[in-house]
Amino acid sequence: MDDEPDERQLRESDLPVDLSQERESFVRQFMRRGMELTEGLLEENKRLHEQLDELQRQNARLLAQIASDDAIRDLLTKIEALERERRELLDKSTELEEVKRRSEHRNVEIEQELHDLANLYIASSHLHSTLSVRGVTRHLCELMQQLVGAEIFAIYLLHDDEGVPLASDGVTLADVPIVTPGEGAIGEVLMTGLPAIADAPQPGGSLDAPVAAIPLLVRDEVVGAIAVATVFEQKSHWAAVDEELFKLLGSHAATALLSANLYSREQSPTEALDGLRAQLDTP
Amino acid sequence: MMRQLLVFALARIKRISVTQAEDGVDALRKLAGARFDLIVTDINMPIMDGLKLVKRIRGDETHKDVPIIIITTEGSTEDRQRAMALGANAYITKPIQAPQVIAKVQELLDL
Repeated sequence: MDDEPDERQLRESDLPVDLSQERESFVRQFMRRGMELTEGLLEENKRLHEQLDELQRQNARLLAQIASDDAIRDLLTKIEALERERRELLDKSTELEEVKRRSEHRNVEIEQELHDLANLYIASSHLHSTLSVRGVTRHLCELMQQLVGAEIFAIYLLHDDEGVPLASDGVTLADVPIVTPGEGAIGEVLMTGLPAIADAPQPGGSLDAPVAAIPLLVRDEVVGAIAVATVFEQKSHWAAVDEELFKLLGSHAATALLSANLYSREQSPTEALDGLRAQLDTP
Repeated sequence: MMRQLLVFALARIKRISVTQAEDGVDALRKLAGARFDLIVTDINMPIMDGLKLVKRIRGDETHKDVPIIIITTEGSTEDRQRAMALGANAYITKPIQAPQVIAKVQELLDL
C-alpha cells in the first residue's frame, strides 16, 4: 500500500499541461462570472430595497391622505348637521318672534279694550250716581265733552210731539230751536229712533246738520235725542269706543233722566220706594 | 270723571300709586305734605286753575323739577305754548285716550 502512488498526485501529473490551464481559466471565468452575478444581485437587491422604501413612503403618504380625507369628511358631516341645526333654530326664533309680536299686539288690544270698558263703566256710573235732573244733565254734558269731545251740542226731550231742548253746551239754550219729529236730521232721529253719525267728526257741522245725532231711548221708545254740532278741533276721527259710548248714552241717559224725574216728585228715598213690595207681589 | 278714568288706568291697570286732589288749592295742600314723582292737572278748575297751579309748583323748591302733565279741552297752540312756557312737560287735549296718558306718564317717569 505504501507503494500505491497518491491518486491526486497521479491525477495531476497525468493531466496534460494545457488542460490544467483550461481548468484554471474555467475556474477564473467561473469566479468572475460568479462575482459579476453576485454584484448584479447585490445591485438588484439595492434597487429593490430602494423601490421598497419608495413604496413604503408612498403608502404612508396615501394612508395619511386617507386619514385626512376621513377627517375632512367627518368635519363636513358635522358642519352639515350644525348648519341644519342653525337653520332650525333660526326658523324657531322667527316663529317665536312672530308669536311675541302677536302676543304684544294682543296685549295692546286688550289694554285698549279695558280702557274702553272703563270709559263705558265710568260714563254709566256717573249718569246713575245722582237722582237730580240737574245732576244727570250736568253729568251728561260732562260726558259729551270729556269722553266724546263734543264742543257744541244740545240735548232734546220729546214733549207734546216736539223735540224741546233740555240742555246745551257751546251754544246758549235759548238759541237752540225746537225740533219737529221727521223734519231735519234731528227730527229724523226723533222719528225713527236710529242714530245718524257722520263718517268723520271733521269738518264740523251745525245743529241743523250735526256730525252725530243719537236717540234717547227707554224700552225702545224714543224720548229725546242728543245732537253734536261740532267736536274739538283736536278730535280728527271717531274713536272705536265712540260708537259704544253713543249707544250707552242713548239708553242710560234716558233712563237716568227718567229716574231722576220720577224721584224728584217724592219727598224722600223711602217714599220713592213706597209701593215697591206690592209691585213685586203682583204676578 | 276724567280723574276717575285716569285713576282707574294708572292705579288699577298700571299699579301706579295715585293721590287725588279736588282742585288747585287742595293739590298744593297735598304737595306740601309729601313728595310726588309726577303731577297731572286740568286747566279749567275751580278756585285755582291749572296754569296758576303749574306756576306755583315751579316756584316750590321740593317739586320744582317734578314732571307736570296738563290734560285739557283747550286745544289752541297759544294755550299749549303758554302752558309749556310756565313749565309743563306735556300737554294732552281731550277727549283723551287713557293709553295715551299712560304712555306719557311712563315716558316722563322713565318706566
